[in-house]
Amino acid sequence: MRKFSLALTGIVFLVIAVVLIELVLYPPLSALVSSLASPEIRFAIILSLVTSTVSTAICVAVAVPSAYALARYQFPFKKIVSLVLTVPLALPPLVAGIALLLFFGTTPWGKALDAAGFGVVFTPLGIIVAEVFVNLPYMIRILKSSFLAINPRYENVAKTLGCTETGAFVQVTLPLARPGLVAGTTITWAKSMGEFGAVLMLAGATMMRTETLPIALYLNISTGDLDLAVAASVILILISLGALCVVEHFADDAHVF
Amino acid sequence: MVLHVESVTKRLGEFYLHDLSFDVQTGEYFMILGPTGAGKTIVLEMIAGIHTPDTGIISWDGEDITHAQPRTRNIAVVYQDYMLFAHLTVAENIGFGLRQRKMDRQVIRAATEETAGLLGISHLLDRYPGTLSGGEQQRVALARALILKPRVLLLDEPMNALDTAMRERMRKELARIHRATGTTIIQITHHFEDVFALADRIAIMREGTIVQAGNPAEVFWHPKDTFVAEFLGIGNLIKGVAHRNGNLTEITAGGNVTIVAAAGAEGPVVATLHAEDVIVSKAPFASSARNCIPGTVTELVPSGSTIKIVIDAGFPLIALLTRESCRELELSKNSRVYATFKASAVHVIPAGNT
Repeated sequence: MRKFSLALTGIVFLVIAVVLIELVLYPPLSALVSSLASPEIRFAIILSLVTSTVSTAICVAVAVPSAYALARYQFPFKKIVSLVLTVPLALPPLVAGIALLLFFGTTPWGKALDAAGFGVVFTPLGIIVAEVFVNLPYMIRILKSSFLAINPRYENVAKTLGCTETGAFVQVTLPLARPGLVAGTTITWAKSMGEFGAVLMLAGATMMRTETLPIALYLNISTGDLDLAVAASVILILISLGALCVVEHFADDAHVF
Repeated sequence: MVLHVESVTKRLGEFYLHDLSFDVQTGEYFMILGPTGAGKTIVLEMIAGIHTPDTGIISWDGEDITHAQPRTRNIAVVYQDYMLFAHLTVAENIGFGLRQRKMDRQVIRAATEETAGLLGISHLLDRYPGTLSGGEQQRVALARALILKPRVLLLDEPMNALDTAMRERMRKELARIHRATGTTIIQITHHFEDVFALADRIAIMREGTIVQAGNPAEVFWHPKDTFVAEFLGIGNLIKGVAHRNGNLTEITAGGNVTIVAAAGAEGPVVATLHAEDVIVSKAPFASSARNCIPGTVTELVPSGSTIKIVIDAGFPLIALLTRESCRELELSKNSRVYATFKASAVHVIPAGNT
């Protein structure tokens, strides 16, 4: 059993490592560097960074109060609300994307938004909307379990010591939930950087307009420009590794207190 | 000045508090006892303002505080697992309440040091709670509460997480703090040692209400009903029928055995008798004690330094003996013995109350 499981673990490790390294080493180094410096990839990097950061900020701003409500308060239809908030998690992003496309493209309120200058369909704003829609449920779930793990008596004590309800939340609960908050934010951000299906459906794949890194990868592989596709991939791999390190670090940290 | 709780009811999940009324005088050390699930913690949290009663009044010195926010009450809580803020240092934990009052930084520092000194934790101020022992954490939690000079300090089983030796030290510490600060303290406890060492008055809770309150001696020696008697571990509860005979009451129990009690009662009763008050001997002996009943030892149950002896005296009678006296009397199963106890040790509860 020991030999078998160790051998299998070794094989899986090798397969993953070789596949990834082979991808990075596929183009000659000079080609990789010039691809990374190309205007198209630079545009994709900046667009991805901006949209991911904005969408993550929106996710945090919405998820903190929602997750707290789900963790602490009783309200009618809580189970159903909780379930619906989770649905996008299990949904294929393509399906989420097409639902968003129909919502913003065909309904009166979608058209009203468009007329008001907040066009979502096939625009960079659509990238943010798609990322928020797909990732918010993750953020809420992670934060909800963080809040659930914090005994409400901490807030009780804070209130008897002079805090308002909000004061107790900001000064006690939120800092105690920091590991979950950091891990959730990092995962959300990394997932936004890599989001493809929902973005493709809602924001489209317009070169140099809604071209995030995954879209750049897709467009360039479609046209056979392997070097640019690999360049986009390399950046996405680095982002994944970085996010993983942050999450691991704070997952350990979570047990410090 | 007095904390006054009157006819409070509260439904909270599976708990239901009802007909809850009691007073706590200023400076008093008041203890609440009761089985798990009686709702003791909710009572404390209601006094602190965490929960609002569905009906009823809580007032302090005549001022209605039933619906006041916790932060305006100046009533502090220490929970059994302390609830120290793990992201703050010990000093920041202690100073937390003063910081909410926007006090001057220097004033907070000085007050923190003074309170830490009172509790002997001055050397811990820069540490984080996660690195402290249970006893140290408890002192920090007490300091965090006491620095605000609360009008009432609520302690929810504060010594549960401590070992026996630490508990003894903490008991002395609490007695000292109570003397030094004069703070009114309401404490939940499971330990009778706490009651004997600290309590001015106690209340026994059961299923969401207080069944008896009074000074400890009164409650221990005159339990109001069989629940209180059993909860306090009084030992013997004897069912019988009482007849008044002059100043005394004769209780016929277990068929034809007669017990003499000093209290007056008539009709069906439950008599209580502390196991410690029963003297066991091999032969009958003349004494001022009114009761001397023959019986057979049916069981010897060692418990710590004492042995619980169950005697069949027509009804089961329990006596507590030290191991030495048990050896000297050469007691074993089926030994013929005499159980002697005073009429005044027998307390009579009319059976209607049970």
